[in-house]
Amino acid sequence: MEDNVVIQLKDVSVFQGHNMVINDLQLEIKKGEFVYLIGKTGSGKSSLLKTLYGELPLTKGTGTVVGYDLNALQRKDIPFLRRKLGIVFQDFQLLSDRSVNENLHFVMKATGWKDENEIQQKIADVLTKVGLANKGTKKPYELSGGEQQRVSIARALVNDPELILADEPTGNLDPETSQEIMNLLLDISKSGRSVLFATHDILLYKRFPSRTLTCEQGKITDSAYKVTV
Amino acid sequence: MLNKNHFVSDNTTKRRLQTSSVTVVVSLSLVLFMLALVGWVLLNAKKLSEYYKENIGFQVYLKESASNADVEKLRKELDAAAYVKSAVYKSKEEAAEEMKKETGDDFIAFLGYNPLPVSINVNLRSEYANADSVAWIEKEITADRNVREVVYQKVLVDNVNDNARKIGLIVGFFAFLLIFISLALINNTIRLSIYSKRFLIRTMYLVGATQAFIRKPFIIRGVKIGVVAAIVAFAMLAGFIFIVTRYVPELLVIQEENWLLLLFLGILILGVIISGFSSGLAVRRYLRLKAEDLYF
Repeated sequence: MEDNVVIQLKDVSVFQGHNMVINDLQLEIKKGEFVYLIGKTGSGKSSLLKTLYGELPLTKGTGTVVGYDLNALQRKDIPFLRRKLGIVFQDFQLLSDRSVNENLHFVMKATGWKDENEIQQKIADVLTKVGLANKGTKKPYELSGGEQQRVSIARALVNDPELILADEPTGNLDPETSQEIMNLLLDISKSGRSVLFATHDILLYKRFPSRTLTCEQGKITDSAYKVTV
Repeated sequence: MLNKNHFVSDNTTKRRLQTSSVTVVVSLSLVLFMLALVGWVLLNAKKLSEYYKENIGFQVYLKESASNADVEKLRKELDAAAYVKSAVYKSKEEAAEEMKKETGDDFIAFLGYNPLPVSINVNLRSEYANADSVAWIEKEITADRNVREVVYQKVLVDNVNDNARKIGLIVGFFAFLLIFISLALINNTIRLSIYSKRFLIRTMYLVGATQAFIRKPFIIRGVKIGVVAAIVAFAMLAGFIFIVTRYVPELLVIQEENWLLLLFLGILILGVIISGFSSGLAVRRYLRLKAEDLYF
């Protein structure tokens, strides 16, 4: 595998329970790419992402994500794979019982950060990046939806991941807030990280055009291999 | 889902979380109290049966020909033997006095002499108070040339042993059953208390925390709960013993502080293990469930 490839899938099928939702998928995503994954609800976007972060096992085909062989993935490897990924969820998945700072602090402690100064430095750093520098002491429920999503993006950034998987990150947000989040993720991809952005928001990817994977009737069509308009 | 606490103040949330700990502590301490009580009853039963066994003595009657020195020598030998708790000399006069009290007749005046022999009352240690041991002890003592006869209440010894064995079996069986039931109950209680945290556990796992890292704080909390519950249970037991011994003072005679300490250590260890282990297991269970299954 080349050094600058973060996702490589060959002949992959994705299952939802026992139903195959995506068949015969070939995919290669390079460093710094911003890729849309679009399709209706239930078309298998989430299942594909889950397969990429080790929530669903890869049972058919071969795949590598940020250097981890998905076929050989053991239960004990999963946390370490996830540390190299940044995952952003539609429902934010923040720890609701603690403040923003403590949310980030927990993740860093959990992923092996030791030095308290470095941790504080990094927290300030990522919060500034997402524009929440002065909200560190707030609890998630004291923030708006857009702010919570920024926190979860900040959390995805603390371990400098090579790849960010975003599962409908704007699904719960109003159009304006969605654009802010989009801009944020585009900036992040410009700094050299790959972003795989699952959405069904057509307006969004028309506004910010980029390479697009379309999920339809069990097949994924890749705009990179189509004749561009 | 995550915003459900919008209208609930910080303090309320905190109080709610504490309440869930309190519930577990209360259940666990009640269960541990029951176990401690059974343990205490078992220990008391053991002490009680030992006490009775050691009070079953036998009499060694000596020949008329035995001199005082011989008798004293034999008494000392018996007293030093491993199986003897105490050996007490009884003179002819003492025996006659006792007999007189029992029958109410002045038989010496009637007979003109005292026919009762000199004897030694022997009390055995509880370990030797069973038919087998008494049989060879009897043989050994009878072999002494100064001994005329050894008399002991064989039936009584067997009875006490038999009853102690039966009672021990029954109480032991119930104690075992109780331990089993309490394990299941506490396991469920703790699992429920962690159930409310299942989405937090999930999130922690999704952001790359290892299972051990996620489990650690839950296990520490479980251990703390176990310690508190054991202390509460023991305080309850102490109160119980205090009240009971006011009405049944005999029980105090067979109290031993060492046994109580052992009992406390027992329920402490049991409480900590049950609570810590169940917590770890519950978290593990939620880590292994698929995300969809968490909503049920």
